[in-house]
Amino acid sequence: MTAITVDRLHKTYLVPEREGGLRAAVGALVRRRRREVHAVTDVGFTIEPGEVVGFLGPNGAGKTTTLKMLSGLLHPTSGTATVLGHVPWERDRRYLGQMALIMGQRNQLQWDIPVLDSYKLNQAVFRIPDADFKARVEELSELLALEELLRKPVRNLSLGERMKCEIAGSLLHAPQVLFLDEPTIGLDVAMQRRIRSFVAEYNRRTGACVMLTSHYMADVEALCRRVIVIHHGRLLFDGALEELVHRFAGDKTINVELADEHPLDPAALGPLVDGHAVERSATGFSVRVPKAETPRVAARLLAGLPVSDLVIEEPPIESVIEQVFEATSAEVDGG
Amino acid sequence: MTGERLDADWTSGPRQAPGEGGLAGLVRHDLRILRTYLSLGVLNLVQYRSDFVLSVVNAVITLATQVLGLSVVFGQTTDLAGWGPYDLLVLIGVHFLIGGVLGLVVRPSMEAMMEGIRLGTFDFTLVKPADSQLLASVQVVRPQALVDVLVGLGVVVFGMTRVQASLSVVDVVLSLLTLLCGLVVVYSFILALSTMAFWFVRLDNVLAIFQSLFGEAGRWPVTIFPGWLRIVLTFAVPVAFAVTVPSEALTGRLTYTSALSAAGLALLFFAASRWFWFFALRRYTGASA
Amino acid sequence: MADVATRPVSGRPDFSKVSFGALRRYYVGEFGASTANNLAYRGAVAIWVVTTVIQPMVSIVVWRTVAGPAGEVNGFTSAEFVTYFAITMLVDHLTFIWLMWEFEWRIRTGAMSPLLLRPIHPIHKDVCDNLSYKVIGLVGVLPAMVLLVIGFGGDVSGIGVVQVLTFLPALVLAMAVRFLLEWVLALSAFWLTKVSALNNLYFSLFLFLSGSFAPLAVLPEAVRTLAHASPFPWIVSFPVEVALGRRTGAEVWVGYLAQLGWILVALVLLRVVWRRAVRVYSAVGS
Repeated sequence: MTAITVDRLHKTYLVPEREGGLRAAVGALVRRRRREVHAVTDVGFTIEPGEVVGFLGPNGAGKTTTLKMLSGLLHPTSGTATVLGHVPWERDRRYLGQMALIMGQRNQLQWDIPVLDSYKLNQAVFRIPDADFKARVEELSELLALEELLRKPVRNLSLGERMKCEIAGSLLHAPQVLFLDEPTIGLDVAMQRRIRSFVAEYNRRTGACVMLTSHYMADVEALCRRVIVIHHGRLLFDGALEELVHRFAGDKTINVELADEHPLDPAALGPLVDGHAVERSATGFSVRVPKAETPRVAARLLAGLPVSDLVIEEPPIESVIEQVFEATSAEVDGG
Repeated sequence: MTGERLDADWTSGPRQAPGEGGLAGLVRHDLRILRTYLSLGVLNLVQYRSDFVLSVVNAVITLATQVLGLSVVFGQTTDLAGWGPYDLLVLIGVHFLIGGVLGLVVRPSMEAMMEGIRLGTFDFTLVKPADSQLLASVQVVRPQALVDVLVGLGVVVFGMTRVQASLSVVDVVLSLLTLLCGLVVVYSFILALSTMAFWFVRLDNVLAIFQSLFGEAGRWPVTIFPGWLRIVLTFAVPVAFAVTVPSEALTGRLTYTSALSAAGLALLFFAASRWFWFFALRRYTGASA
Repeated sequence: MADVATRPVSGRPDFSKVSFGALRRYYVGEFGASTANNLAYRGAVAIWVVTTVIQPMVSIVVWRTVAGPAGEVNGFTSAEFVTYFAITMLVDHLTFIWLMWEFEWRIRTGAMSPLLLRPIHPIHKDVCDNLSYKVIGLVGVLPAMVLLVIGFGGDVSGIGVVQVLTFLPALVLAMAVRFLLEWVLALSAFWLTKVSALNNLYFSLFLFLSGSFAPLAVLPEAVRTLAHASPFPWIVSFPVEVALGRRTGAEVWVGYLAQLGWILVALVLLRVVWRRAVRVYSAVGS
């Protein structure tokens, strides 16, 4: 049985529209124009139990709208979805009882009371038996190093500490499905790493299925074997992370280390690399060439220069993603 | 970008530094600031049509409530401590008018200032080359409150035609003067209250007390209150001079003593609040430490 | 070693059934949390209590002036006006809810969403918050009530044990009527982006029809008739007059029944409107 099934999901908003300036403002007094915004168009995918899936897209791509539909906060305009056998927007309490939505910018814990008291409230809301509650708080506080924080009021915690407590609080009822919307936003690198490894550990221990959106590619690389990319509300890619890089990266980088103090002559180097821009380093250089030409250029370099080492690299995932969005933006704007 | 020439002249400063050119120059500069903020506010008014409509609806409901209240009271009596129904209608109009001016610029600006002090954005106000008190007092304009000002004016005029007090030109001038004094007193009071935000970070609720006192007690002539309350409402929380004294003037029952004391108190309150403002600023910037 | 803990438990609680045990535990926890919260902001709570005193105080002054030192208005002497408004203040404090403003904020800022994600009806949280605020506010309101009565020379000769004992159920029922009605009204924020005009209108009506501005006996005939067709007299006027000993015997029982009737009406409304409100929210989002 799949954990999440989404089929031809659409969400359309009607938003009032107005141009700037006084005249437009006066005009709007008389007549208001509305425009349809297609936040999500024809999105479909399935996720198996235990999978961790990265959900990528630039701001306004429709990620949060999709997550809100899957967590039952939004009704789609059309299309279907089932999560753990429930239609999320029917908001059956049995579904809400085994799901968690965590948003990096929202605080669900009570501001002025100690963290543990907020947890006890969640215990009551989610009807968690005492023994389970105790064991889970213990385990979560061990995994996230919360021991010191549980007795402090939330307002006295730093941003990162608050996020850790927030995440732990959302997992006390052992949700089977976890929607993480930008869980590491605004946190320092060490805290990001900690939360990342925690999510991986939670997934390993409970077999819960996780959908994660993040602007930090490190999150995605560390956690998700599979990514789903949407842009302008449409599904762009669904598959393995390496596959994404492989399919969309147009270039590869060739790093060359030279054997000795070779007087690198730009004029001589030019023809070898087909005139692509060369970046000098202390002991050699690197050059970016189109994927198809990589073998040929590499062979020429090996033949023509005293090379001690030559490495061909895929470009970093960030730049691939950037390329994907840029390419499709141009397509959409142009069409 | 390189090679593009900048056409604007970036080298010359303002022809005259703000504050130079004597008092007249200062006032001109201040008035320009006031005008700019007000016109920005009017632009906003057009932007938020629904807010404007809402404030008309709200003003009508509030006015109807108060008139109904009056009619309930005057269903049982013909005079309330020497005030007839139309005298009180004039007073309600003055209350609307003063409340409108406060809501137009004073209260929203003070709320923004306290928020700014809490968040640290108040520093942006301090680095501008203009009078800090003025900037702080006019920084937010909520033009919907103009509705209250207009309703207030209408009610005052309507009430006055029914009161049939014969007002001479001097009386009218005096009335307007007491109205102005009332505004100054209340503005100074609110400014001083808000200035305390430099010491106590959470103060918005103190303004709520003033708002409640002004809203509930200010709608009745201060003369009906028993002794100690009347003193509180006159000097401690100066609702009396803001509403009752101008209403007395407009219904032809002003004494020269109260006109003079209104003027004196306005000057006193203004000077005191301005002194307190700069005292607080010196502490805030650490200049006195 | 502790691997077991976060594993999905075999038997998940059945959220489709109401569990009173779970609900009781929730109430205890939420009430404690709200109380901690209110105590943290005790300054703000104190100030709200001060503003609660102002309106009845002004009403006392106005009606004492109308009645004059010796006279009376439709059966109320000036000393009786004082007691009437002092008790009105207590009833108003205990029945007042602020959710009609809070819902607008919740929806605008998205604070509604976490409440909707929990497998429990959001009204329970509001009940707890309200009760806690009221209990804490009593620390200020009760002495203020006594001070008003003493300071303005109120007449308490009609108040005895019987009056207090019949007042208490009327008060509790009044709290329930007003809470449910205004909670339903607060749901209007799901449809309207600005609720200030509606709230303003509601409170104007409430002021006159509930007997907060003046005892119903003092109001013009037309207003009084309108009031009797509305739920408002059962929220303020009825409990206050029971406390003053102005309603006795069968009148009290009829009053309790009327209050129960309005509670029933409000509950039905709540069920219908809440379901629609959530549907609207999930169509538009935030």
